[in-house]
Amino acid sequence: MGTFQHFALLLIGGALVNNILLTRFIGLCPFFGVSSSMETSLGMAGAVVFVMTLASSATWVFYNVLLVPLGVGEFLYIPAFILVIAALVQFVEMYLKKASPGLYRSLGIFLPLITTNCAVLATATEAVKPGFFKMNMAYGFGFGETLVYTVGVALGFGFALMSFAALRDRLEVAPVPAAMKGTPMAFITAGLLSLSYIGLGSWFGL
Amino acid sequence: MSEWISVFKRGLSIDNPLTVLMIGLCATLAVSTKFEGAFFMGLAVIFVLTMSAILVSALRHVVPEKVRIPVFIVIIASFVTVVDLMMKAFLPTVYDFLGVWIPLIVVNCIILGRAEAFSYHKPIRLAIADGLGMGVGFSVVIILLASIRELFGSGEIVFLGTRLIGFPSWYQAPNIILLFPGAFIIFGFMVAGTIALNRRMGARKVQTSQHCTIEEGGRS
Repeated sequence: MGTFQHFALLLIGGALVNNILLTRFIGLCPFFGVSSSMETSLGMAGAVVFVMTLASSATWVFYNVLLVPLGVGEFLYIPAFILVIAALVQFVEMYLKKASPGLYRSLGIFLPLITTNCAVLATATEAVKPGFFKMNMAYGFGFGETLVYTVGVALGFGFALMSFAALRDRLEVAPVPAAMKGTPMAFITAGLLSLSYIGLGSWFGL
Repeated sequence: MSEWISVFKRGLSIDNPLTVLMIGLCATLAVSTKFEGAFFMGLAVIFVLTMSAILVSALRHVVPEKVRIPVFIVIIASFVTVVDLMMKAFLPTVYDFLGVWIPLIVVNCIILGRAEAFSYHKPIRLAIADGLGMGVGFSVVIILLASIRELFGSGEIVFLGTRLIGFPSWYQAPNIILLFPGAFIIFGFMVAGTIALNRRMGARKVQTSQHCTIEEGGRS
């Protein structure tokens, strides 16, 4: 398999076939939390693409340069990763506040929430710890693969979040039984959306 | 003592983390394909929740307000590491099934949310009640969901290699219940059931706004 094909497969696999929200249930809190309006989901999607890419690169370097040579990768990776991510988010927040107030205003409120978003930790963990999720590709990524995979996952996150927000806009005015109104109906809609993503998997033959 | 019991019971009913507060959903939906996985996930969450509640509550006079979140996260991460290594050593098949969800307990909003909202302000005695109550409330819902999905989705419930209960062989299991959409749809109906039940019992108004997003938003 050529290099280009390998990277393209990683990107599509991360973004669509193994969509982190709809086919793997990672990061559902913001999915239901912020998807009530298109504007906030756009902000969240942007923030996730930004933070996830940074976080995965940082934890990859941290794991391979520091933890593995010291021989503590096996049992220190959870606290180490979460601290790296939390510190990183804090720095990004401080930097944005200073350097680009406009961007900070649109992304700012989402940044602290992302620290406890499982999607970021999951992607970071997956990139370095092989075999957590069985795709038909090799794991134990190199740095370039980590980068491409993370961007794919983050784009898939944003895309799913925004399409769900659009659906929920229409649900607001739909006639729904009283007990099903709100969250229960949102879950069922998410189920139908997830069905279409599963179809994609067989389409690409993955 | 009655206060202890009332705190414990709140986790099971009106403050149930999953069907009422809607926190910690990701793990619930993902591991509920198998009764076995859900059972051990529930145990892991009860352990981490109770132990971190005890430690957070014990340290509540020592930890300054400003650095509380990092301290909580380190406490939680340590207990999750304990679970991670124990499960890898003693229950390798379950560990393979749960996979990335064990490290992800760290970012499960239930645990951080309860540390922030309850254990940081209350004595150890009550923190234990809250940790146990929330943990058991979580486990009950996840085990119920997993039982429904495994029973109807694969026709039988298997626990550590033993067949507990099952349909006769003419039952054609619809695969979709085991797939991801099944989880969303069945859980949607479970939430609707809870809302209808709460409304009928005239319990206090169901608050569905307490997502982890809101909870975390309170920090500055």
